[in-house]
Amino acid sequence: MPAFITAQLVTSILTIFIVVHVILLGCAYCIWLERKISAWMQDRCGPNRVGPWGLLQPIADGLKFLLKEDYTPPHVDRWMFTLAPAIVIVPALIAFVVLPWGGTLDLATLPFGLAERLDLVGETVQVIGANVNVGVIYLLAVGALGVYGVVLGGWASNNKYSFFGGLRASAQMVTYEIPLGLAVLAMILLAGTVEPYEFIDRQREQGWFLLQAPVAAVLFYICRLAEANRAPFDLAECEQELVGGFHTEYSSMRFALFFLAEYAHMVTGAAFFALLFLGGWSLNPLPWGPDLPGPTEAVGLGVILLQFLVIFAKIALVICLDMAVRWTIPRFRYDQLMKLSWTGLIPVALLIVLATSVVVYLGAESWMWLVSLGCVALIWIAAPLMPKQPNANHRLQLAGSRFSPLPDSDVVTAPTEPLALTDSPLPRRGR
Amino acid sequence: MLAAALDSYLPIGVLVLMGIFFAIINIVATKFLGPRRQGPIKGLTYESGMNPVGTARKRFNVRFYIVAMTFLVFDVEIIFLYPWAVTFSQLEPRSPEAGLFLGRILFFILASVVGYVYCFRKGVFRFD
Repeated sequence: MPAFITAQLVTSILTIFIVVHVILLGCAYCIWLERKISAWMQDRCGPNRVGPWGLLQPIADGLKFLLKEDYTPPHVDRWMFTLAPAIVIVPALIAFVVLPWGGTLDLATLPFGLAERLDLVGETVQVIGANVNVGVIYLLAVGALGVYGVVLGGWASNNKYSFFGGLRASAQMVTYEIPLGLAVLAMILLAGTVEPYEFIDRQREQGWFLLQAPVAAVLFYICRLAEANRAPFDLAECEQELVGGFHTEYSSMRFALFFLAEYAHMVTGAAFFALLFLGGWSLNPLPWGPDLPGPTEAVGLGVILLQFLVIFAKIALVICLDMAVRWTIPRFRYDQLMKLSWTGLIPVALLIVLATSVVVYLGAESWMWLVSLGCVALIWIAAPLMPKQPNANHRLQLAGSRFSPLPDSDVVTAPTEPLALTDSPLPRRGR
Repeated sequence: MLAAALDSYLPIGVLVLMGIFFAIINIVATKFLGPRRQGPIKGLTYESGMNPVGTARKRFNVRFYIVAMTFLVFDVEIIFLYPWAVTFSQLEPRSPEAGLFLGRILFFILASVVGYVYCFRKGVFRFD
């Protein structure tokens, strides 16, 4: 056996193999769950024909996607059009490799005497895809790659809906990346590390960061909804304005890849949230009291499974909250979306980073919760004094505009742009 | 040293290959399994069933460029803050060294706040 094949490498690849399948199946069942939750919230039945409670619906959908025509319209940029779904799905799938799914496994506890047979007694492995020492930054970096595929898909489609969807999506994603990065920065300051395992360790000592830094948690939650293009931030694909947004011209499996990537982003974001703010597999949100074993203690297979189940349950909980938000809050208008981030979230995130760095300087990390509440109070007091921009709805007078013309005025309804009249791909009729 | 690096980064490479494989398999499989039909009307750009008007390769609002540039400024600033954050939180609290670190980064953030206020006054963040 070559020397580089260690027990850790085999465990990592096994973990990846299992988790990829869990995530892909989980994404498919997220769609089922979303439909069931929306049905429950709107007092409907939801999918209930395929299998018991409609449980086989995602599999039927997947087969249908495969058997539909994968149509490439003649007006698109063929290569980019094919490449875009692949560019979307790959970053969505590789992000969760650095997430810890369990602590340190003592190989001597393996069943069937495997440890003796393979000469592994006394060795320990970590149940994680890749124990990278810059895990949190890797998650941020890979999460940011998702914007490329969306822009490429929107541009290559050569369709106005796709084009505007892609533009909106790119502007929205880059805008919400700044407060996301700042919120994570505040957490890195508080934990003093960028290693996922150490994040869990710190939260077992100091209590969950959700309680320590609630403002950063709320910022992070909002931004990851926007990064995953979820409602109320799904401006890029709002049906009433843009049909399907950047995936208007896509069909069959390439559309399904866009769809899957969106859900994979949501799952990864939920896992990131669970890691940063909900303490990974920690069950006790307070700094004292009993808890599951930490990441450095060697434990048996059963405890590893328990840790995995706890982190999985937390991810499921955050995803259910996302879905409840989607079916509760209506979609933002585009200018409101931009205003929320640039004049709302970014100043608040900067304030949080400053407050956290001062707290870290004073060595008073255990008082961070009080400082967070102080920040909320400061924002509450200072927000009405901030310079305001006029409300968009009140600047345009309705009477006299093209929506409500005055009695004697001419109303222009036909397109006036010469290009729009000449460049039609269809031959003009009646000539 | 090398073995440890392999342990950490080789699985990422394996997962990237798996992701690419997944994407290619799906796109190729549906090409072979699905039907193939063409038609002049089917090939039209989709514009809600109307005859398409003009092309999508048009000029668009300059605001999107400005957002991209402003994003770049802030994002590069945040990238500089990550290594600072890791080093800073490992220093002794209230030591003069930590104070120096804090003062420098406060100056750095203040410089970007000046830029932010300038953008705000210039109306970069007005999107209506």
